[in-house]
Amino acid sequence: MPLDTSAYSLALLRVDGRRWNELRRIHAQIRTQAAADGSSYLEMGHTKVMCVVTGPSEPGPKRGGMTGGVGGGGGERSSTADVSVSVVIAGFSSVDRKRRGRGDKRTLELQSTISSALAASLHTHLHPNSTIAISLHVLSQDGSLLAALINAATLACIDAGIPMTDYVVACTAGSTSTYAANDEGADPLLDMNHQEEQELPSLTVATLGSSDRVAVLVCESRVQVSRLEGMLAVGVDGCKQVREILDRVVREKGRRMIQEGTIEKGMSLDDMDID
Amino acid sequence: MPITILAPKPVRSTHSKPATHIRNPSSSSIDSDDAPGGANLASPGPGNPDIMDFISSTAATRRTDVDIVTPGETITDDPQWMRGHGTYTSQPTSSSDTLPAIISSVAGTLTRTNKLLSVRPLRARYTPEVGDLVVGRIVEVQAKRWRVDVGATQLASLPLSAINLPGGILRKRTETDELQIRSFFAEGDLLVAEVQQLYQDGGAGLHTRSLKYGKLRNGVFVAVAGMGGGGGVVRSRRQVWTLDAANGGGQVDVILGVNGYVWISKHVETPETANTTTGITNLEESVSATMYSSQNDQIGVETMREIARLRGVVTALVENGLRVDEDMVMRGYHEAVEMALLTGDADDIYLGGEKGEQLAAALMAV
Amino acid sequence: MPREAEPSLNERQFVLQALRENLRLDGRPFDKYRPVELIFGEQYGVVEVSFGKTKILAKTSAELTVPYVDRPLDGIFTIATELSPMTAPSFEVNRPTETEVLLSRLLEKTVRRSGALDTESLCLVAGQKCWSVRVDVHVLSHDGDLTDAACLAVVAALRHFRKPDTSIEGGLLTVYTPAEREPVPLSWLHSPFCVTWSFYGDQGEMALLDATLSEEHVRVGSCTISMNRHGEICQIAKLGGTPVDAVALLQCTNVALVKVKDFSAFLDRKLAEDAKRRDKGGLMAELSAENDR
Repeated sequence: MPLDTSAYSLALLRVDGRRWNELRRIHAQIRTQAAADGSSYLEMGHTKVMCVVTGPSEPGPKRGGMTGGVGGGGGERSSTADVSVSVVIAGFSSVDRKRRGRGDKRTLELQSTISSALAASLHTHLHPNSTIAISLHVLSQDGSLLAALINAATLACIDAGIPMTDYVVACTAGSTSTYAANDEGADPLLDMNHQEEQELPSLTVATLGSSDRVAVLVCESRVQVSRLEGMLAVGVDGCKQVREILDRVVREKGRRMIQEGTIEKGMSLDDMDID
Repeated sequence: MPITILAPKPVRSTHSKPATHIRNPSSSSIDSDDAPGGANLASPGPGNPDIMDFISSTAATRRTDVDIVTPGETITDDPQWMRGHGTYTSQPTSSSDTLPAIISSVAGTLTRTNKLLSVRPLRARYTPEVGDLVVGRIVEVQAKRWRVDVGATQLASLPLSAINLPGGILRKRTETDELQIRSFFAEGDLLVAEVQQLYQDGGAGLHTRSLKYGKLRNGVFVAVAGMGGGGGVVRSRRQVWTLDAANGGGQVDVILGVNGYVWISKHVETPETANTTTGITNLEESVSATMYSSQNDQIGVETMREIARLRGVVTALVENGLRVDEDMVMRGYHEAVEMALLTGDADDIYLGGEKGEQLAAALMAV
Repeated sequence: MPREAEPSLNERQFVLQALRENLRLDGRPFDKYRPVELIFGEQYGVVEVSFGKTKILAKTSAELTVPYVDRPLDGIFTIATELSPMTAPSFEVNRPTETEVLLSRLLEKTVRRSGALDTESLCLVAGQKCWSVRVDVHVLSHDGDLTDAACLAVVAALRHFRKPDTSIEGGLLTVYTPAEREPVPLSWLHSPFCVTWSFYGDQGEMALLDATLSEEHVRVGSCTISMNRHGEICQIAKLGGTPVDAVALLQCTNVALVKVKDFSAFLDRKLAEDAKRRDKGGLMAELSAENDR
């Protein structure tokens, strides 16, 4: 399955017909699961993930029971909420139908990355002694997995009404040159699909909202250091686009709820007369 | 598919207003294309070109819609406002001399109380407030208190001293009481209580020291999404009422816990409701030993059916994103009874799927 | 399970306040490593690396096995990490903690996935016989910056290692003992090194190299950059934590390149010293069975 990278330089089109700075189609929904505190479904191209957030809630006696104090004091009390993430990668999600066990190191790494990235944005200090459980399910994989997981988790946390500094949005960026080739004319690419991820150097970047501040930067392929700046710039720019798209999804949902009369209409600041 | 982000189109207005550093809502072309007709969501407030310039200069987070704000969106950087729930202030960095702005931290609607700006999330877990009537479930029994799940971010606690003892005796709780704590409430028991106090960390302290409160029997439990959205129970004047059920169902109690937990049960005549005089002496007599019973009374099939129908109404309201309060439940119930009559089978209590939508549509139409 | 004690609020504030005044607890500049020591063992492939009080032992070993069915032309190369209760009571045997998983993933990505070792050269008979090379990383004491130290140890151990020489004549595989033929080094393509930055402050504006354990407890985020001296990034891992300005991250990679070149030169020097020590009387050249190609 070698990718014909030479074709790119002819028409400046990628294997799936995109130009260098185009995202794949992003489709997102929030509140997909009625029973959950927060939930989301996200498609980035053919990468499809679902997310369910439970909490913030206090872990019941199952976990803290052993240390549960007598009378007044509970067990160990933390001043911030825990963000625990579990990622389940469905066996049918990729082409090779490989089963990944629970202890798979790659999955564990994904979990710890998502947890730590979200914990930095969520206002965990508002919910002491509680846990925010984020459960992610990968239904289909076609590149940019970590980015899709982070975006889905952010959406679900917003749906759950957990206060946060800003959206944590992620996307991938790559470069048309392989690490060996030192050609200067290599273009950076935005939003890699699976085939491109296999062939070309790529990195995942997550930013805090539309700022330039990078929460997650993961690069797993060999690439010239001079290439990094271009890739990072494209990635950060892609994150801004992703934020717009996710923001639109949330606003659309909010607007529909107001129309249906589920929630009262808010006020805008100009209605407020300042006395 | 190429994604094009269109620039926000400011609302132009001929009115002018003293320029303040308040961000105006602007309606963007992104959202307008699929807006259902008639729903005018644009702000009635006059826009100001100066303000719009200010917005476009900080276009990083802009408002495309009047009604809701999303995390990371700057609400205002006018220092006269104070920040409330659902917002935070940005720390001005030394490099830029921007004012500390109030930024939303949740997606929701903006509300104002005098100079306090807060954002009410579209949906969130229940946040307890003193005086709330809640329905809860015991999850843990400790030496001197119960831990109750009320759907909040933390378990609420119900101290042993905050319950009525059987027989209404008023005395200090002894070790004997502590030892037989499970005879009052055990794990899994449902109860209705009132929030008595809030602890520092946001947890709630409950009490059941009233005849209205206590263990729940003879009915069915429904959990609807908590406050704030997705349909839910709203704080209202009457959370508990008794209704005369149709089809010979007798009387049915409905308790709408503010926390989104609902209890529907057969109405049981208690001495307290029978004679209207209240007082300490009455309390002693009326709090009978059956108060902490875990045994259901005899419930007729008709009553059970009507309870189930009410439950169906509540779930249908939630599924269709409607408010759950006394008015809606009662109207929904009457509608459901009529719908059942129309189908010719009064025993048909199924209100899911299409029938639920039909019910919701009927309620919306009125 | 004994839990690791969290640093108290006072400790935290002390470290942070000192950092704001451009001071580290041990008086180092922000971008300087602790004294790095590297000692090769008597055997080939054994190395002990220490960064201040952090001490890591890596041992390389090789055995003949059958290659994986799906990769008949590749040898087997594994890196095993071990954080035992010896390191700290909070580490348990057979229950990998997050630290351990992340460490082993990082080493995997840095050394294995970047193709530092030519695994094809480990294959002897396609689909039937190959070398299985394994590096065991044991953390003897943990005082911060495990990744950088462990990565240096792994690379040093692999480059120091010699596997027995083999020959194939007429389909017959012969493995020579060290007495018969001098063992040969592995086919090594490039040497990647990790450089870990720790970030401090609300915006992650302060960046430190080679954080000690107490500094690691206080940090708000970290970023490990793996590079070789040719300026090729093998891996970058900023796994969450407080967001850091993109430009600052780019600066970090540039400094990392300088550090990687230092590491590379340091390791080359140490390997040369060791080779000299072993080459008593200059007999090595005669004993070698390798041709000068």
